[in-house]
Amino acid sequence: MVSFGDPGMVLKAFFPTCCAAADSGLLVGRWVPEQSSAVVLAVVHFPFIPSQVKEFLAQVQQTSQVGVAVLGTWCHRRQEPEDNLGHFLEGLSAIFSHEPWLQLCREKGSTFWSCKATRWQGSTSPGAPSEDQVMIVFYDQRKVLLSQLHPPAILPDQETGDAAAGAVGLAAVFHTVARSEVLFRSDRFDEGPVRLSHWQSDGVEASILVELAKWASGPICLLLASLLSLVSAVSACWLFKLWPLPFIWSKLSTCEQLRYRLEQLTLIFSPQKAENPSQRMRKANMCVSVLLDVALGLTLLSWLHGKGRIEQLADALVPVADRVAEELQHLLQWLMGAPAGLKMNRALDQVLGRFFLYHIHLWISYIHLMSPFIERIVWHVGLSACLGLTVSLSILSDIIALLTFHIYCFYVYGARLYCLKICGLSSLWRLFRGKKWNVLRQRVDSCSYDLDQLFIGTLLFTILVFLLPTTALYYLVFTLLRLLVITVQGLIHLLVDLINSLPLYALGLRLCRPYRLAAGVKFRVLEQEAGRPLRLLMQINPLSYGRVVHTYRLPRYGCHPTHSWGSLCRKLFFGELIYPWRQREDKQD
Amino acid sequence: MSAQPGTSTEVKWQKVLYERQPFPDNYVDQRFLEELRKNVHARKYRFWAVVFESGVVVQQLCSVCVFVVIWWYMDEGLLAPHWLLGTGLASSLIGYILFDLIDGGEGRRKSGRTRWADLKSALVFITFTYGFSPILKTLTESVSTDTIYAMSVFMLLGHLVFFDYGANAAIVSSTLSLNMAIFASVCLASRLPRSLHAFIMVTFAIQIFALWPMLQKKLKAHTPCSYVGVTLLFAFSALGGLLSISLVGAVLFALLLVAISCLCPFYLIRLQLFKENIHGPWDEAEIKEDLSRFLN
Repeated sequence: MVSFGDPGMVLKAFFPTCCAAADSGLLVGRWVPEQSSAVVLAVVHFPFIPSQVKEFLAQVQQTSQVGVAVLGTWCHRRQEPEDNLGHFLEGLSAIFSHEPWLQLCREKGSTFWSCKATRWQGSTSPGAPSEDQVMIVFYDQRKVLLSQLHPPAILPDQETGDAAAGAVGLAAVFHTVARSEVLFRSDRFDEGPVRLSHWQSDGVEASILVELAKWASGPICLLLASLLSLVSAVSACWLFKLWPLPFIWSKLSTCEQLRYRLEQLTLIFSPQKAENPSQRMRKANMCVSVLLDVALGLTLLSWLHGKGRIEQLADALVPVADRVAEELQHLLQWLMGAPAGLKMNRALDQVLGRFFLYHIHLWISYIHLMSPFIERIVWHVGLSACLGLTVSLSILSDIIALLTFHIYCFYVYGARLYCLKICGLSSLWRLFRGKKWNVLRQRVDSCSYDLDQLFIGTLLFTILVFLLPTTALYYLVFTLLRLLVITVQGLIHLLVDLINSLPLYALGLRLCRPYRLAAGVKFRVLEQEAGRPLRLLMQINPLSYGRVVHTYRLPRYGCHPTHSWGSLCRKLFFGELIYPWRQREDKQD
Repeated sequence: MSAQPGTSTEVKWQKVLYERQPFPDNYVDQRFLEELRKNVHARKYRFWAVVFESGVVVQQLCSVCVFVVIWWYMDEGLLAPHWLLGTGLASSLIGYILFDLIDGGEGRRKSGRTRWADLKSALVFITFTYGFSPILKTLTESVSTDTIYAMSVFMLLGHLVFFDYGANAAIVSSTLSLNMAIFASVCLASRLPRSLHAFIMVTFAIQIFALWPMLQKKLKAHTPCSYVGVTLLFAFSALGGLLSISLVGAVLFALLLVAISCLCPFYLIRLQLFKENIHGPWDEAEIKEDLSRFLN
């Protein structure tokens, strides 16, 4: 393989493949002295007037901020060797002085290439020109122009090693080609003062629709942006910031999703132009993800509104809630007996069981009170699907949270009771051993207690020890139920996050135009012969799918599991309340 | 180091390392063992004094025995709870009066504890026990009786092991000992037929495990003769109680008491003859001065 990053050794000439068939002329490009490489951008054909060429190059240099210059001559011998042309080309070096002066020559039959790089200064004997060894690297101008090198931000002054230097060199080549877009703007049918050969588009395709869309997109964007800013101003109104409301909004995933969607739309329709490629890519990703989301949502909507599915759904919802409550009742009755042959304290068992049964009774009455309105609610919720599938999924998650509110209540009661017992037992166990927790020194000290303290402490300790299994069983069962609900909600949120944050546009680009997202390049040897310059073909390595997702993932909304598994188990054991995904349902009723 | 030990016999060897001497570092001469001493801290025991001291152990064993016997009577329904309550209250009152009479109220003045505080403690005991007795009654309903017995035996043994018999050891913890006794009494009381029984049983446990040892300590310190009498009386009453339940148990218990109060002291004194405790300059340094004044 060619070591790319050793400057000074071999001169590298980057030559566009599309110019291989061009007529003889001048090589126009940029000289990168740090890498000792010449990036050829175009070939200027005969006939030309040198002053016009110079003027044209100065113009290009001014607009593209790239040091474009005449690097040498290009000679394509189609017919018999023309000696006068060779002399003429040599004479050009006096007019366009450049250091080193490249002389690229393609022999008849396209297989033989020769290249000379002449330096007038710095040679051992002044006056006599010295020649460098030259390597020709072919590149596809269009692909290099359109592709974006990853990682994009490499500063040219980073010289940490060979690999870094190679990456910097590549970045310089890519950068040069990308910045000289002005040079390629003229197409085949343009008649300018200077005739150029380079990659050219096949002319601009004019379509009335495209032109109309281009023309209309500005005002439409402006209009939508102002509408969106109006919506966000309304949502920021003080009425919605009265005390309990922000708390409730933060607990409802629907509100979070709507806020996120508003942000997305504001960004998409913002009238400012994206400054760098990553911002442009982000905008495109967002746009595609919103479009896909809305398309999926509309599909869902059409499915829901066909064949009276909404009525079926509404009719099914109440029996399902009833069924859940019934199952819970059976579970409680099982717990009030002797579940799994465990020795429970009968009196406490009965008290807890009746308390929870009464709770379920309340819940069922609430559901039945709600049942006449359920169909209308479902119909309105179904309409929300036109805002996107994610919104309706969030609403589904919120509805699940509301319908399992009794499970949440049971869990909280069980956890509080269990936590109380565990805390009491741990401190009474210290008393039992004649110790106490020293708060100031953060350690266990010995302590002499009074007789009555000891007596009451031990009495309570004994009672708590014998009551612990009953409470722990209730806690265990309700925690498992709660974890089940949380798992379902977590899956829904994962799906929503997936739709929200997957960079679909970037992935599509990677699938259809792999060269657009470049991770690096590879070189293929075309010709290697003694006495002739080494010819290489530069091919673009596409970015892997994992890196694409990693680089272009859109930011997520809301908070995410903050517990590790260890801390989760610890919290469960000590009866602290867990909210693995988000703290919700606190104030919904 | 260079000179031979034989050539420099006239040089006197000193047991110091900070001066250069013509001996190897590990050299010692014949005077080394002159400083050997034996049994410096050994004490001479007298038989009856040891027997007197073993009274504490006998008393505690008897307390546990009496408690278990009373519980058995209650469980069988042979002992009316009112009777036990009356006796317990009467003996507590007598004990309370004796407690102050023995040292003429000196201990009370030293501790600064008022009679109001005593009354408050008594009220707390009775209120809490009475309030919790229905819970205690149903507490261990679903737990097997054998488990309860095993737990009680374990706890009472723990009570005997950790009790403060006056020895200065790390294992002694009067708090833990009392707590274990209370735990055992709560366990046993929860097996009794009614909540009144449970209440009276726990009260009795406080009397015999918490209050009775305090009175004993005072008796032993101020009137040793009466202490011997009380110990004997208590031991015989415990034996009698046990005899009414099981002959074998009573015989075994009597043997245990005799072994602890007579055989063990005898054996201890016999073993003193074989004591050979050597002391010398190789011992660790001991700080003789009392440094406790630096602590505060």
